[in-house]
Amino acid sequence: MTQSDSTASNNRSSQRLYALTWRLPIIVWQLLFFIGPLLFLIAMSFFLVKNYRMHEAFEMVNWQKMFSRAYFKDAYVFTLGMAAGATVLCSLIAFPAAFALSFKVSENTRRWAIFFLIIPFFTSYLVRTFSWYVILSESGVVNSLLQFIGLGPYTMLNTVFGTMVGYLTLTLPLVIVLQTFSMSQIDKSYIEAAYNLGCGRLRTITSVIIPLAKTGLIIGAVFCFILAFGDFVSPYYLGGSKPPTLSILIIDTTKSGQQWPRAAVVAIVMMLTLFTVAFASIAYAYRKQQR
Amino acid sequence: MNDTLVEFRQVVKRFDDFVAVKNLNLSIAEGEFVALMGPSGCGKTTTLRMLAGLEKPTSGDILLNGQVMNEVSASERDTPMVWQSLALFPFLNARQNVEFGLKMRGVDSAERKKRAIHWLERLDMGEFIERPVNQLSGGQRQRVALARSLVIEPKILLLDEPLSALDAHLVIRMQGVLSKLQKELGITFVYVTHSQSEAFAMADRVVIMGNGDVAQVGSSREIYRAPANKFVAQFVGRNNIVSGKVISVDNGLVHFKTAFGTFSMRSPKNTAIELDQSIDLSIAADRLSVEARPHGAEEISQIKSGTTNSEPNQVHCTLISEEFVGAVVTLFFETNDGTEFMVQVQERELDELNISQDANYILSWSVDAAHLLDN
Repeated sequence: MTQSDSTASNNRSSQRLYALTWRLPIIVWQLLFFIGPLLFLIAMSFFLVKNYRMHEAFEMVNWQKMFSRAYFKDAYVFTLGMAAGATVLCSLIAFPAAFALSFKVSENTRRWAIFFLIIPFFTSYLVRTFSWYVILSESGVVNSLLQFIGLGPYTMLNTVFGTMVGYLTLTLPLVIVLQTFSMSQIDKSYIEAAYNLGCGRLRTITSVIIPLAKTGLIIGAVFCFILAFGDFVSPYYLGGSKPPTLSILIIDTTKSGQQWPRAAVVAIVMMLTLFTVAFASIAYAYRKQQR
Repeated sequence: MNDTLVEFRQVVKRFDDFVAVKNLNLSIAEGEFVALMGPSGCGKTTTLRMLAGLEKPTSGDILLNGQVMNEVSASERDTPMVWQSLALFPFLNARQNVEFGLKMRGVDSAERKKRAIHWLERLDMGEFIERPVNQLSGGQRQRVALARSLVIEPKILLLDEPLSALDAHLVIRMQGVLSKLQKELGITFVYVTHSQSEAFAMADRVVIMGNGDVAQVGSSREIYRAPANKFVAQFVGRNNIVSGKVISVDNGLVHFKTAFGTFSMRSPKNTAIELDQSIDLSIAADRLSVEARPHGAEEISQIKSGTTNSEPNQVHCTLISEEFVGAVVTLFFETNDGTEFMVQVQERELDELNISQDANYILSWSVDAAHLLDN
């Protein structure tokens, strides 16, 4: 090895050390507060509970119990369906808004709109959820208004509808912002090229704008799915736990008989589901063009 | 000549306070290669975009095939365009890009594929048919963009500075491709560029635009040799502009006075010249001769044969700089009163001239070299 080579490799290793030093805090943080608890959670799912007290063990009994219970399977299917429904609904509702913000308004208006879309996150999600009570209850704003035209009252709280309203409250502003970011980045010449080649305005949306904004649209949908799938507040307060979702099941399981190990099983199943969905979606979003 | 394909009738385009195009009147024939040329902001691209329907004229009419197009949307016109950025769809491969226009016209997929492949092969892209566009080189992408526009078999192709992103050697190659294609297809090309060499090399007719107006329309030679006005003379470049006042007219010659001497030119045929009239002239840089005139020396070394010292138009000046472009050298001179002159000479003539910065030179030109500009 020549002198310059060894200097170069010294430089490189000192650079690596430098980079590692900066990364160290986040690595330590992740180890302490994510990987550590995760491993403990996995271990805990094999523990046993006797007389309301947890004992270290390695038994499959929690997994067998949970997987043989119909209520667990029902809750899983229901939660998955609700989260998927919220994802589709939210993406569809967000799209026209994001489209308008990306292409139909001035840059200044867009900046203000994004600011106003971030404002809802200033207040606690719980507060925002409770304010729906006033609006959706039997004697609430919506039903009072409907009464004027001789309709209702409709039961909206403690229904699937209520849960969905809660999910959208949580996810819609975020999804609109993400979709707007991805669509406003589109070079206008692609859209003009589509018109120029005989593509009508509506068709341009499906054949040019959506493919170009694909990554951002999918990332928005993934966020919506993750937030809705793990949400406890909406299905509990607005949906009235009818039927319970997986996050409600975790609470119920820990409360009834201190069954932390069984709650751990539910939590692990949820994490695996989210991991699969997020990984598959992001892989699809960034998929290289097929030959 | 051929039938008129495109006609602009008193077309005005305003963007808020800015007037991009002022009262444009222009017709373009079928099968013609027209270049719209001018500095940036002159309205050339806006003109092209109005023709494609991507901008709406503020007033006036644009006719295509004798039909007023003002209310026809961009997607309903058969006026495909090649963008400066090419605007190839990154989520489609070369063939799918070419097929796009056919798909929008409802051509079935087998036929689409056949025609796309035919055009890609015709443009020497046979090897890259299924290649994603981001894996193609600049020149290859250019060809895909051309195929994408031509596959719909239009009567007119619009090109918006299509070669400006390419390397110099590729520009020359693509110029050849475009010229050949236009002749073979016999369709109209409207080519927007700020590059004189591109416009002059390819176009049958060049439209020079400045500040939203047409400054001159003519063949490359006409514009080069006989710029209509000061703007064109300056934009085309390598023209010396001389302003003066007429002092006498005799024997078919006009004599005029400038800040750096008195000169003569042949009386122009079509324009009446009056005494005391202010005139602007352009003298192409390659029509001036340079002679070195060392301090105190009587001898004059002359470099251009065919010119004699009896030329009536001579001016003394000093050299300020020089610029080499291959075999041609442009020398920049300055007279006593600060007027600049450009002279183009062959590189091999330089040795005879003994170029040195502090030497004095005499520039001379014949009475036929000067060309009168419109005011």
